[in-house]
Amino acid sequence: MKTKRYAIVLDTRRCIDCKACTVACKAENDVPLGEDKHRNWVTQEPLRGTFPNLGQSFSPSQCNQCANPPCNSVCPTSATGITPEGIVTVNADKCIGCKYCMLACPYDARYYNEETGVIDKCTFCIQRVAVGRIPACVETCPTKVRVFGDLNDPESEVSLLLAKHRYTVLKPELGTKPFLYYLI
Amino acid sequence: MSTLVKNSGQMLWFALLSLSLVAAVGAAVYSLMVGHEAAFNVTRGVPWGILISTYVFLAISCSGLCLISSLGHVFGFDEFNRLSRRAILLAILCLVGAFVAIGLDLEKPFNMIYTLLSPNFSSAIWWMGTVYGIYLGVLVIEFYALMTNNHKLSIITGSLGFLFAIAAPSVLGAVFGLTLARPFWHGAFLPVYILITALVSGTAIISIVMYFQHSVRGLQMDDNDKRVIRLLGRILRLMIFVLIFSVFWNVVIGIYGTQPGHYEPVKNLLSGSLALNFWLGEILLGLAIPLALLLSKNRTPFTTMIASVLALVGMFFMRYDMTISGQVYPMKAGTAGLIDGLFTYTPSVAEGLIVLGCIAFSALAYTLAEKFLSLDLDSEGHA
Repeated sequence: MKTKRYAIVLDTRRCIDCKACTVACKAENDVPLGEDKHRNWVTQEPLRGTFPNLGQSFSPSQCNQCANPPCNSVCPTSATGITPEGIVTVNADKCIGCKYCMLACPYDARYYNEETGVIDKCTFCIQRVAVGRIPACVETCPTKVRVFGDLNDPESEVSLLLAKHRYTVLKPELGTKPFLYYLI
Repeated sequence: MSTLVKNSGQMLWFALLSLSLVAAVGAAVYSLMVGHEAAFNVTRGVPWGILISTYVFLAISCSGLCLISSLGHVFGFDEFNRLSRRAILLAILCLVGAFVAIGLDLEKPFNMIYTLLSPNFSSAIWWMGTVYGIYLGVLVIEFYALMTNNHKLSIITGSLGFLFAIAAPSVLGAVFGLTLARPFWHGAFLPVYILITALVSGTAIISIVMYFQHSVRGLQMDDNDKRVIRLLGRILRLMIFVLIFSVFWNVVIGIYGTQPGHYEPVKNLLSGSLALNFWLGEILLGLAIPLALLLSKNRTPFTTMIASVLALVGMFFMRYDMTISGQVYPMKAGTAGLIDGLFTYTPSVAEGLIVLGCIAFSALAYTLAEKFLSLDLDSEGHA
């Protein structure tokens, strides 16, 4: 059987900025409290137009689980690793806390977790995925912004969405080969 | 054996350094007790603070000292031989101070064992740590060779040391230069630029030491000493001149075309939160005044010393500004806590004290070495 390649497809037009994804992630992954402690986030885009014709978009994001992750290249102790399914992980036993990965990541997806004393990041809730569940942020979203699945399965929902719609990825020019896909 | 303290000036010097060390140990213990998060002002946006910039400052000073020393016992400019013992000892002590600074910045320094057990050869930090680690060993052997007048060994280790003195700062520059996400750092400029600044730092430190090792001991400089310090002044002048062009083009390239991520940090240096550091610390103190002093016709060893002190202060600001500027531009839109669209960082008291302690450690260890080791060459003939 072909190895899975996990990805998340996002339809940001559905996002209502309720931040349930951030709350669910914090609860699921023991992310400390505090505004700059998060594995995922919702960016509020600038207001468009002039009153009364206004519009605003919200853009949720997290680690892009890049196929060519700069955070992995820079880690001096190989604490960062990539699973066969493409999930970028941090081995807390090997991390020295040099924070080079935080600087190398073009998506600001990593943060220092003072409770564990090492660098932490989104793992697509690897502990849930391992037992056949979907990531907490995907499960909790009331408007179903995120869809999680296996891109190596042509019949998966993510594969079908990417076949049907145009999409973009964040900062493609950096060559990181991200696996968060944003429908246009 | 000489008495440790001979006058009130020396007493004050030792008291200040010892006090700085005690304060730094206190700050380091405090940071370990309450955690870096509480003790340091580094954040998710600016994870590398003044401890990293001090590491860079001390580590490149080490290389600069080594390069100056190699002029004598590697390249055969014999007048520089009299500097070798002091330069190499200072290089060792600067490097140890640098390791303390970066060691205290690491969250889990004991996990460093995994740089050996599971090395990542694509990591510039791995290469930097490895190169500087071996370099320290080479320097220690070189110092031993110089102290025991083992000419053959000192040429071998000196040549090796010279290679490392070039390689180490350029790898250090690559740590910054390889961060694709940070346009202010990314590229081939930093590995070369850092080498130029290494020469400025190293020349400045050895000039200062050369001046004070005479004046503190009440010794008159002989003609050779005066010639060497004059030559050091010329080298410093040349390197500052080259550095001015490096800084100029770095600024021009940053503001030309307003590339996002590069333009904003450079503008921040010119007129933002780092402007005082840049104009006063880097340009005025670090480059303009030293260059003016070193261009003066009636330059004395004292003038060279003052120019060196100022250049060294400038180098400290330059390292700080370089380290912080690369991080101020946020990686994602809508980030909270920005001022004028950029992150800001001010060192905490604990960070400041640890920095002071790292520098005081190198200075105190060197002063003690001056007291207890024979760093003069026999041929110098100081009575």
